Amino acid sequence: MVTGRKVAVVGMGGSFPDCADIKEFDQKIFSGQSLIREWSKAAERDKQIRSKVAGYINDNDLGIEPIYLVEGYDWPETFVDTRGRIPDINLSTADLGCVWAMNGALDSIEMAGWTKEETQSEMTGVVVASGGGGNVIMRNAWHAFFELGKKSRQAGSHMVDRAMSYREAANVSCLIKNRGVCESIISACATGLGNIGYAYRLIKFGLQDRAIAGGVEGTSLETFIGFDAMQVLSKGFAPAESSRPFDIKRNGFVCSFGAGIVALEEYEIAKARGANILAVIDDYFNNSDGDGDMFYPSYSGQLRMWKGLSANAQIKPDVVKVHGTATPVGDILELISVVDTLGEEGYHVSAPKSQFGHMLGAAGSVEFIVALLMLKNQQVPGCLNSDTLNPELENFQKKEGWQGSMKPAAAYRHLIPQETITKEINQVVCLNYGFGGTNSAMAISRDI
Amino acid sequence: MDRKEILAGLIEVLRTIRTVDPAKLENVTEETDFMTDMNTPSTELINIAAKVEQKFDVEFEDEDIDELGSKVKDVIDLIIKAKARTEEERGN
Repeated sequence: MVTGRKVAVVGMGGSFPDCADIKEFDQKIFSGQSLIREWSKAAERDKQIRSKVAGYINDNDLGIEPIYLVEGYDWPETFVDTRGRIPDINLSTADLGCVWAMNGALDSIEMAGWTKEETQSEMTGVVVASGGGGNVIMRNAWHAFFELGKKSRQAGSHMVDRAMSYREAANVSCLIKNRGVCESIISACATGLGNIGYAYRLIKFGLQDRAIAGGVEGTSLETFIGFDAMQVLSKGFAPAESSRPFDIKRNGFVCSFGAGIVALEEYEIAKARGANILAVIDDYFNNSDGDGDMFYPSYSGQLRMWKGLSANAQIKPDVVKVHGTATPVGDILELISVVDTLGEEGYHVSAPKSQFGHMLGAAGSVEFIVALLMLKNQQVPGCLNSDTLNPELENFQKKEGWQGSMKPAAAYRHLIPQETITKEINQVVCLNYGFGGTNSAMAISRDI
Repeated sequence: MDRKEILAGLIEVLRTIRTVDPAKLENVTEETDFMTDMNTPSTELINIAAKVEQKFDVEFEDEDIDELGSKVKDVIDLIIKAKARTEEERGN
């Protein structure tokens, strides 16, 4: 390990629902708009699917045109990049999420100002992943092999590279031609932050000087119906009102898709070449609940996460960017673990999922980009639809053995702005959790 | 279906392969080599075979594919052979 190395964020990019680019994303987030719409792919299934809303990007948005092998089949054989940024050979090995990842990588490198030599260096890594499998690509294989009884080649020769678990990292690496690490860190809904965290460690520990990192969740009805089957998706509200973190009427999360990619660089190297430093990473910490529960969040696991984050860094955030999915249990338990760690004053809580839903494997990285924008804009976006906080205790607070706060959610109203506020923001803590009891936390600061 | 018609159909298939340079499809003859003349990535050859099967409504034997040469005429020969076999099977 190399001591004293710091890591800077020097670029960002991504694909966001209902936004042409990161500029429009910035504008819509900080002007309090919702990116959630009724999703025709879910709505047309009528009673097969409970939830009808999503933060989605159409297959042919963002200058990408899908090419279908057989008319009427909902799986693209490949894509055409009408903007001409990604060569056909790279598109032929990509699913939609990989195309978003490649676009985000190109945007991040452009913003970072890396030269070709820097990008293609042995000291440049790629750490990108998605939460879900290559479902859309597998559709053709299922259909041709199992339903039609065709030979394996009818699934196409790109089923493996377009559907394998680390397809996003592989595609980004083949596009930018870096010579360092190429890996994926996969941890359900903590994936986005987990990849940035792992890339941070590679640089901090001296193994790489720079990295493209982030998370992706490509559009997939299979992903959507998986969560719909669990009955954890929001139901019964108008699209813009569907994602309601902390609100007493919240009944589930909005399943969304997108990608968030960032460029990280060793601080002194970035400084020396005069890079625009979007943030400095103070530290990253992740752990597991250790209670054997796949789904239920853990108060003690989250407290240990905060302790770990604070062990080697000064943690005094002006904003805590929470996971805040709008599921009945998670939000308030998370809020209380924040309050019991930081106290009841001196910071604000931001839940960006209120505006674009839960991007699963992309959630941590897209919300990390929101945190970068908070540092840039010196603003905290409001938590949409957090209209009423429960004036009474949650059920978990009434259980024997509960050791946390005995105040109801409504006691913390002052921490959760409902509209965008402007204030001095020097540090933001980003939190994300995932199935399997995984907890991740990263603190970032303004470079001053 | 004569060899000219098959060649025209084959070029139509090749036009849908994004990694094949459209400029190289202008002067394709039976002697054109997929690998050396058209620079086709080897991973795409199996896609071309799969698409040809769909286009011409035939199914190749795995052994035919294994032994397939890399020239356009080899593919045309194979299509004719597979078509004849299919008709024979359907005739029976």
